[in-house]
Amino acid sequence: MTKLVETQSISSRWFPKVQSRRQFVSLGAPVLGLSLAKLLELDAHASTGTPSSSKKSIIVFWTDGGLSQQDTYDTKPNAPSEYRGAYRSISTKVAGITLGERLIEQALVMDKLSIVRSVHHENGIHAPSAHWMLTGYFGPTLARNAPQKPSFGSVISRSLGTRRPPMPAYVSIPKAEAFGYQGAVYLGKAYNPFEVGADPNAADFKVPNLSLPQGLTARHIDARRNLLKSFDVFRGDIDRSGVLEGLDTFKSQALEMVSGDQMRDAFDLSRERDSTRDMYGRHRYGQSALLARRLIQAGARCVNINTGNWDHHNDIFKGLEDHLPPLDRAIAALVSDLDVLGMLEETIVYCVGEFGRTPRINGHSGRDHWADCFSVMLTGGGIRGGRTVGASEKWGGAVQERLVTPLDLLATIYHVLGISLDTHYEDASGRPVSIVGNGQVIRELL
Amino acid sequence: MANARRIKFAVLGLLVCSLSAIGNISANDASPVYFAADVVPLLTKLGCNSGGCHGKASGQNGFALSLLGFEPELDYESLVNEARGRRISATAPERSLLLLKATGELPHGGGKRIDETSDDYRLLRDWIALGARPPGKNDPIVQRIELQPAHGVLRVKATQQIAVTAYLSDGTSRDITHRAVYQSNAPEIAAVDDRGLVRAVGQQGLVAVMARFGEKIATFQAAIPFSTGEDLAGESQTLAEISTRLDNLESNATISKFDKSLIRQWRQLAVAPSAEVDDATFLRRATLDICGTLPTPEETRQYVADTSHDKRRVLVDRLLERPEYASYFALKWADILQNRGAGYSTSKQRPGTTLFANWIRDSLAFNKPYDQFVAEILTATGSQNENPPTIWYRTVRTSTEYVESVSQAFLGVRVQCANCHHHPAERWSQTDYYGLAAVFSRVGRKGGFADAEVPTNEIIYLKSHGQVRHPRTGRAVPPRPLGGEELPSDSHLDPRLGLVRWMTRPDNPFFAKTMVNRMWAHFLGRGIIHPIDDSRSTNPPSNPELLDMLSQEFITSGYDIKHLIRAITGSLAYRLSSLPSAWNSEDTQSFSRFYPRRLSAEVLLDGISQALDVPTEFSSGPGKFPVGTRAIDLPDENVAAHFLDVFGRPARMSACECERVDAPSLAQALELVNSPEIQRKLTNESSFATTIAKSIQATDESAVRIYAEELFLKILARFPSANEVKTVEQFLASEPNRVEASRSLVWSLLATNEFLFNH
Repeated sequence: MTKLVETQSISSRWFPKVQSRRQFVSLGAPVLGLSLAKLLELDAHASTGTPSSSKKSIIVFWTDGGLSQQDTYDTKPNAPSEYRGAYRSISTKVAGITLGERLIEQALVMDKLSIVRSVHHENGIHAPSAHWMLTGYFGPTLARNAPQKPSFGSVISRSLGTRRPPMPAYVSIPKAEAFGYQGAVYLGKAYNPFEVGADPNAADFKVPNLSLPQGLTARHIDARRNLLKSFDVFRGDIDRSGVLEGLDTFKSQALEMVSGDQMRDAFDLSRERDSTRDMYGRHRYGQSALLARRLIQAGARCVNINTGNWDHHNDIFKGLEDHLPPLDRAIAALVSDLDVLGMLEETIVYCVGEFGRTPRINGHSGRDHWADCFSVMLTGGGIRGGRTVGASEKWGGAVQERLVTPLDLLATIYHVLGISLDTHYEDASGRPVSIVGNGQVIRELL
Repeated sequence: MANARRIKFAVLGLLVCSLSAIGNISANDASPVYFAADVVPLLTKLGCNSGGCHGKASGQNGFALSLLGFEPELDYESLVNEARGRRISATAPERSLLLLKATGELPHGGGKRIDETSDDYRLLRDWIALGARPPGKNDPIVQRIELQPAHGVLRVKATQQIAVTAYLSDGTSRDITHRAVYQSNAPEIAAVDDRGLVRAVGQQGLVAVMARFGEKIATFQAAIPFSTGEDLAGESQTLAEISTRLDNLESNATISKFDKSLIRQWRQLAVAPSAEVDDATFLRRATLDICGTLPTPEETRQYVADTSHDKRRVLVDRLLERPEYASYFALKWADILQNRGAGYSTSKQRPGTTLFANWIRDSLAFNKPYDQFVAEILTATGSQNENPPTIWYRTVRTSTEYVESVSQAFLGVRVQCANCHHHPAERWSQTDYYGLAAVFSRVGRKGGFADAEVPTNEIIYLKSHGQVRHPRTGRAVPPRPLGGEELPSDSHLDPRLGLVRWMTRPDNPFFAKTMVNRMWAHFLGRGIIHPIDDSRSTNPPSNPELLDMLSQEFITSGYDIKHLIRAITGSLAYRLSSLPSAWNSEDTQSFSRFYPRRLSAEVLLDGISQALDVPTEFSSGPGKFPVGTRAIDLPDENVAAHFLDVFGRPARMSACECERVDAPSLAQALELVNSPEIQRKLTNESSFATTIAKSIQATDESAVRIYAEELFLKILARFPSANEVKTVEQFLASEPNRVEASRSLVWSLLATNEFLFNH
């Protein structure tokens, strides 16, 4: 016990000791088959928070509302038209893999991408499904008081820390998704994503308060930091909501961020050549992807790009016309750029949403929610390209081969990033919860 | 480690061991099987009619049941008559599709749900074998269910079996322990399995476990006492100490009945309250909570020096008469009443939001009785130019919005679920939902600016006709308050008056309680029912007795809001320090210490302006608000202020106070540390940072002390400690530029948690 406390007390100030106030009562006996010693070891490993030796990171395109698999990554060219939809299937750089015609840019880099076509979970409502895909677990619904689980971004942030302080480990562009399921919950509020808060494609895009106001120099900031340290001695244990602790972390981080140029530069897209910005596309998705790449270069560990809304119950092909080409361009440009920069081997790119859309087009020319079988795209960081995993049955309604669960996807991502799949974090009741549950690494991707 | 306090509570004699009441009540084996009272609840228990399976609107694989079994007639139809009757085989009950699927004998997407040897299986088989009787008019119905025990005290890791008995209208009762559905409202404190075994899993505190059978719900409430010592000897000593402390408190002459109720709960949870706070902290706390404002240095000096015995009471009385009291609570009510400025043309919108904001403020300033305040809003008619409460009808416009705003704001319940189906964890049905909607079905609107997206200047009147139809039956639903009597349908009577009359009756189960709970949460940082607008039998109050007594007090006073505030701020809980004692650090539910919270966006911004003597400049679309306008005085939320947005100002999209968030973020820290706005306030010529720099002439000990006192009183509303004076002295010595030094000192005090929190 004492040892654990010591280990935690040397944690970097960037990462608060969220566990330190937890009840350790439950550790008195082996829990979930893990010995106390093992748990302590895991926990010490997990909570030191010093930047991990892993160089890897991840960029996520979250397709809020659910991307239609049938019109993108899992086309059914031979299905009747009410299933097939309005788009043709096109061949790609990889023989035998076809994509929907609005993914033409990704078709050209298909050799670098992998598609999982057999993702399955068992809920068809936005919020619970977002929770399932973002945390790996079935969580709360209106009729079910299950506790919320932390997002994979928060798990990554907590397990690996930032790659280079003071860049936050976990960033969302422009904001975290609205259900709050990209949050940290019991991992501690400090592992919530930093929200950029603005559209990177806007002419006046700027992250507020990163530049020192006129008249203020790094010397002043240093003096203030020291003073704050002497005055800010309010006991942390008076607040058990995590708000105070989170603010402490963020205050130090903010001071660190504004004292150098590193952060301002990272968020400054004007430092990119025009041709690069054009390559990514002059729209929210393209410039967000470019910003994500810059943030990874500056040390971020996990960057979410929240896209959509893709909830096209009506006139889906009108909606897709607006959203798909920019998304396609953003993903393809990012993957190519990372490759050219030699970063693709260290950076996962992952495109995922809460579910897919119904294989059959409904009476309003739209597609509804469909979690029985849908697709995700991922690549990089050691994940091979040019392949598909799993398959849907003839018209796309069910998994035909190689069912993949949300936890399988997370196990694969954690494994690739170098996070031990044995990692457990204590929930609010002090129970260690596995980050992957029964999820299995998808070996075919490696 | 202090946390590793595993102890036994035998000494308290509080423990309820796993006494199982099962077996005492045995089901009558010969009793017939009723569809509604027996079969449907079993389908619920097995998960057949859940939202993820056959209960979803489209059903599953062609077989649809009503969600959670709230429509037995429809379910009978699906089971027996649909699919050419294959689901039920009267001649060979075992060959019924229902059983073959449920046992997994035939492929079933939901897998195997029951075993052929189980009681559940037998019940379904018997029902079929006995002729698969439909739900009949004269069938007995479940009138209530009872839990045994209904209350308990459990130590960590202990278990408690609940026994559930259903009482039927034919006078019989049966043990349904294994057929009820269970859910814990705090799974981190106590978990429950599907057979009603409750287990205290680790965290201590108060927990409620719901058991549901059909539409009947009952709860088991348990306290898991906090551990108090390293070993048995240490523990009994601590318990004795706690007991003595509580005895002493209770014997104090000034203790009120509310305090006694708090003490009773502390005893049960084995916690002792924190010490009472010092004067400066109490002054800051009360001034922030009542006026949304920091005390001035002068106020702090006077209050600390005041030696009269009833100075706290006098302080509260004085604060309640200040204009800031009305402004601050008007801000709160403008959130709840959704006085929204965003969404359409601000120039058209602003006169209305201003009128409504002023009306709310005046109502509070004159201490209009709460029942009257609500009645004037809900029954408002007339022009939005002339009768400000009609402006509530500007943002609340549809059936859905009427129902959900009224129930959440004034009744403290969330009925949203019942829009589409029976509430899964409550008694609210679609008939309740649409009955409340029908109350507003005759609200008429005339006029309004045609060029705005939403008309901003309508006349609200009562139409002679108007109805709401039940979405499933298509029949008109008569107006009826939630759980109340049907209102007379008379074209001369405004059904809204009937609603208000029902609400403001002294025996209304929701109205006074909701307000009391809201105000308690305002002052104590957490509702007795938490979250404050989510009252359910499955989410009971943590201290029902306290809530009842305060509600009674509120009703008896004639819904006097200021009286309620006096009662709450006069309670022992409100005087307690936020510093944990040795015996309550884990408590987050019973108010044994003050739960600190971050100042809300507007209060924080105003606090910074006040501490620095530099007001915030607010732009009002065209032009600016007058210099000195405070954030708590802004008429609506559509006033650009990045600071307010990052610190959680709500968008007023619903009546839920939960829209206002206090989650910390990096963006907040950057705003505090590095925003041009704070820098402007620090460097302004009239800034406190500038003036205090000029005030210090020498750096001898007494000059530094005066300087440090001024600094701390102004920003933290307290005197500095000797150490703090020393830090100031050293810093002044290291930074020769007095103005620079003062700015840094002021800045760093503003960035402390002590400043950012009400504690």
